[in-house]
Amino acid sequence: MDKFFIFVLIFPLLGFIINLLFGKRIKSEKFIGIFSSAVVLIPFLIAVYFLIYLFSLEPQSRFITLNLLSWIAAGFFNIQFSFLIDPLSLCMVLVVTGVGFLIHWYSIGYMHNDSMFSRFFAYMNLFILSMLILVLADNFLLLFLGWEGVGLCSYLLIGFWYEKKFTGDAAKKAFIVNRIGDFGFMIAMFLIFLNFGTLNISQFLAAIPVSFEFNSGLLVAVSLLLFLGATGKSAQIPLFVWLPDAMAGPTPVSALIHAATMVTAGVYLIARCSLLYVYSPITTNIVLIIGIFTALIAAVIAAKQNDIKKILAYSTISQLGFMFVALGTFTYWLAIFHLITHAFFKALLFLGSGSVIHAMSDEQDIRNMGALKDKMKITYYTFLIGALAISGIPPLAGFWSKDEILFKTFLNSGLIFYIVLLGIAFLTAFYMFRLVTLTFYGEPRYAANIHPHESPKSMTIPLLILCGLSVIGGFIGLPHITHLPNFLERFLSVVFDKTETALMMYSQVNKPEVSLEIILLILSVVVALISITYSYKKFSAVKKFKASRGFAKIVENKFYVDEIYDRIIVNPLYFISDKLLWKIFDIKIIDGFINGLADFIKKSGEDWRRIQSGIVQDYALITVSGIIIIIIYLIFF
Amino acid sequence: MQNLILYSLSNFIPETILVVTIIVCIIADLIIRKKSFAVTFVAIVGLVLSFVFVVKQWGLSMSIFSGMLAIDNYAVFFKLLFIISTLFILLFVETSKEMKTASHKNEHVYLILSLTTGAYLMASSVNLIMMYISLEMVSLTSYILAGYLKKDKRSTEAAIKYIIYGAASSGIMLYGMTLIYGYTATMNINEIFLYLSKNPITDTPVLLASVIMISAGFGYKISSVPFHFWTPDVYEGAPIPITAFLAVTSSAAGFSVLVRFFLVGFANTEIITAVKWQEVIIVFSIASMIIGNFVAVWQTSLKRLLAYSSIAQSGYILLGLAVVNSAGLFAVILYLSAYLFMNLGAFYVTILIHNKLGTDNMDEMDGLGYRSPFIGVTMAVFMFSLAGIPATVGFIGKFYIFSALINTNSPNLTWLAVVGLLNSVVSLFFYVKVLKHMFLNKPEKPLPELDYGYANILITLLLAVPTILFGLYFTPLLRLAENSIKIFGLN
Repeated sequence: MDKFFIFVLIFPLLGFIINLLFGKRIKSEKFIGIFSSAVVLIPFLIAVYFLIYLFSLEPQSRFITLNLLSWIAAGFFNIQFSFLIDPLSLCMVLVVTGVGFLIHWYSIGYMHNDSMFSRFFAYMNLFILSMLILVLADNFLLLFLGWEGVGLCSYLLIGFWYEKKFTGDAAKKAFIVNRIGDFGFMIAMFLIFLNFGTLNISQFLAAIPVSFEFNSGLLVAVSLLLFLGATGKSAQIPLFVWLPDAMAGPTPVSALIHAATMVTAGVYLIARCSLLYVYSPITTNIVLIIGIFTALIAAVIAAKQNDIKKILAYSTISQLGFMFVALGTFTYWLAIFHLITHAFFKALLFLGSGSVIHAMSDEQDIRNMGALKDKMKITYYTFLIGALAISGIPPLAGFWSKDEILFKTFLNSGLIFYIVLLGIAFLTAFYMFRLVTLTFYGEPRYAANIHPHESPKSMTIPLLILCGLSVIGGFIGLPHITHLPNFLERFLSVVFDKTETALMMYSQVNKPEVSLEIILLILSVVVALISITYSYKKFSAVKKFKASRGFAKIVENKFYVDEIYDRIIVNPLYFISDKLLWKIFDIKIIDGFINGLADFIKKSGEDWRRIQSGIVQDYALITVSGIIIIIIYLIFF
Repeated sequence: MQNLILYSLSNFIPETILVVTIIVCIIADLIIRKKSFAVTFVAIVGLVLSFVFVVKQWGLSMSIFSGMLAIDNYAVFFKLLFIISTLFILLFVETSKEMKTASHKNEHVYLILSLTTGAYLMASSVNLIMMYISLEMVSLTSYILAGYLKKDKRSTEAAIKYIIYGAASSGIMLYGMTLIYGYTATMNINEIFLYLSKNPITDTPVLLASVIMISAGFGYKISSVPFHFWTPDVYEGAPIPITAFLAVTSSAAGFSVLVRFFLVGFANTEIITAVKWQEVIIVFSIASMIIGNFVAVWQTSLKRLLAYSSIAQSGYILLGLAVVNSAGLFAVILYLSAYLFMNLGAFYVTILIHNKLGTDNMDEMDGLGYRSPFIGVTMAVFMFSLAGIPATVGFIGKFYIFSALINTNSPNLTWLAVVGLLNSVVSLFFYVKVLKHMFLNKPEKPLPELDYGYANILITLLLAVPTILFGLYFTPLLRLAENSIKIFGLN
């Protein structure tokens, strides 16, 4: 029965293979679109079935290991091709396949008439497969396989329209920046294998409490290196620079990969290894600080961007920062909660923006939009709800998860961090409604030859479903003050119970006070409302855009992070490689040595070649004398 | 006595099936009298039947015909390898244009089967006489097959050279065997081992000379230096499917008997110090790797290139034998399984190219990768695998060979691994050169695209897919190798 779960992986694989091999021959876009969506929908249904099945089990036995085959067995190095189905991975599977399916569906309309329609869906299916391997893997190497797989798909899909130079550059940038993170991940794997003798995640985690103290050097090193991997994939400081550029890909890709699923892989990785992070509180503090800084900087930059997708990209970075804040305050289930709600509303916002871009004939600058709300009603309303959800207006999904993060930060990390987060929440509402206002309200500012229109049904229906999820998605994790059951926390608690036990040993967790929680809750709603009103007032009347100056200009140019990286890393690297490593070391030393060696080999080969004269008598002579020489040598020497 | 023979026969079914199939094929050929797939089909049925009975022998461990032949997992592994390669060769012949020019129509089918039968016997023989007879059976059929294209001068020349060279080698081997018999008074390798380990070894020069002379016979089968001279000329002259058959089946059969001879008869520290065969093997191995790789660099004919590559590959496999422990033997078995797919694959692509271009000169292959991307890509797979690049099965084979050498912790063997590795680097040069011709060199004038039929593509894929698949997921090969070598009881 458990083996049945393997179909979750087989279907996307099938989709990938068929689309890749036969996609070009299948002329019907309809068939490809429906087929590719179905191979994602079926895994979702299977996952739902397994969710029900897990609920029927005792909480302690909700761990199913699916051992398919032994992948590599070389001495002590034993890697199984096996998957772990537990509440955490199942939550991820549901998000990946559920949101993934909706985005596939949406893509049928969005990618209509694209010359590489089938290839697009082949990559998308491959992405789903890799992401599922990533979240289901029960050992680090298999996880890394998925990790690299999603990286590859991200690269392929960012550069999907490869005729344009900047998409290729963006794809390369994403890939190269991620390699830095992967480097950390790999070193972490080596350290784990060297010191624990296994790459199995559960065995590794089980060994930690037995033989290690809190903050022991090895654990801090491993956790920091894994976190470096996470900062790459999840676009945190200092590796966040690739995500805004990644928006060069088709919008459904941005929604699926660069908002809802792949970029949350880092969050998932740390949640999966939560015990390690509890045992290295130093790293956890670093996670918290990095998370909060990323959230702040990205939110500030988002407030001055004009490209509709860039704003959403920075917003994603900022929201991922929130998730890392949750991880940094030891509330792992909360990070997953925000991951889920964020997947809903951010996918909605991206798809909405895609619908807008579609309607505006590929215009992405919000300064050239305006007054779209009557032209495209469904897009407008769903987008508005998504924006309200991310701003934290009750009872929408984003409110519950974000508010809980604010509250837990206040309890565990103190007032200063809370105030900063509240500030970021203010900024979030501000930039979102700057976007909404400039896009949908005010006067039309677009060229006369553009005629905005509502998108086709295959695009609007996924929008409506995601909109529904953004409204109700938060109810799976209601806070304690509502006196209603918190499904998600309870469901995930069995995954994190060892973590909780370890946490108790390390520090006293502050008991929440009900009155305090209510006050903070009201406070954050008030802040969000003020911000929305302010933003609407400020931008609804705007007619002309002035060039920014001073600090605003710095923000508009994204704090010049890319330029700084160019100056201090890329250019010196180029310089050293070009002048020193290439022109001197490579050409003179290595090439000289290699060419000399190659000449020697060719020369001696030439001489030996002559022995092969073609005359069989010579051969016999050489053979017999060879034998005699060997015999004489062995007997007398 | 009669019972003993009947008992032996009941364990001789796979071979019997092949012999019966050969007779049926001959009769069918006489009746049909023209080129017909029916004969090949009969052969395929016979091979599949034989396969079934070979698999049934898995796990047995006995000796039949009064200690002439052994039935064990080691022999079963080789028989399976021979069946698979023979099946492929029959398909190769069917799709090769070159073979269609032969004046005989169906004779190759039962000649090929005879060679396979001989190879079966080689893999299971534990008696020097049996080893000699089976080796001759393989050789004699090889001579006829090499000269199969009677009207082609080069093919005939290759056959003649092959006969002369082969006769000389097996003569030397036979002389070595008589010396051994004179020394130990037995022909059975198990008994030879008992004799040598129980009695103090005197007269080492006699033993030394006999062991080296016997290795001459085996060394010629596996094309190891200095017994390799026939290889380039025969490989070049014979029709390509036959070359592929010699390179894989005949060579693997040589290894099966060579390994059994040394690891059953002479695997004991005292014997090794006295007879020094380990050093002989090391010398053969290094010489094969260096000569094979260095001379291959110069070749312009793809067939000759593959001939030298086979010499070098024999050198790598001999490295595994030189370790004289189970890890080394394990690597040998693994390497031979890898060799089956990648070498057959490389030869089949050569056949396909030859079908269209009528030559195997690499200068004619400029831009071929664009004329037929399928040929280009699959050739790349096989070439990378032969060179031992990761994600192919060739890498796994080389990896286990070198790790077996290094894990002995003996400095000399570690150096041997270094020599092997450096040779791999050299080999990369000429393997990639093939691809350079196909992809980087531009032909002088644009040439038309080449189309290949579904049958050709399917056969190529049957070889290319395992080459990659077993490179990524090699656990089944490891299990197979592990179980194949248990009977040797090495540490």
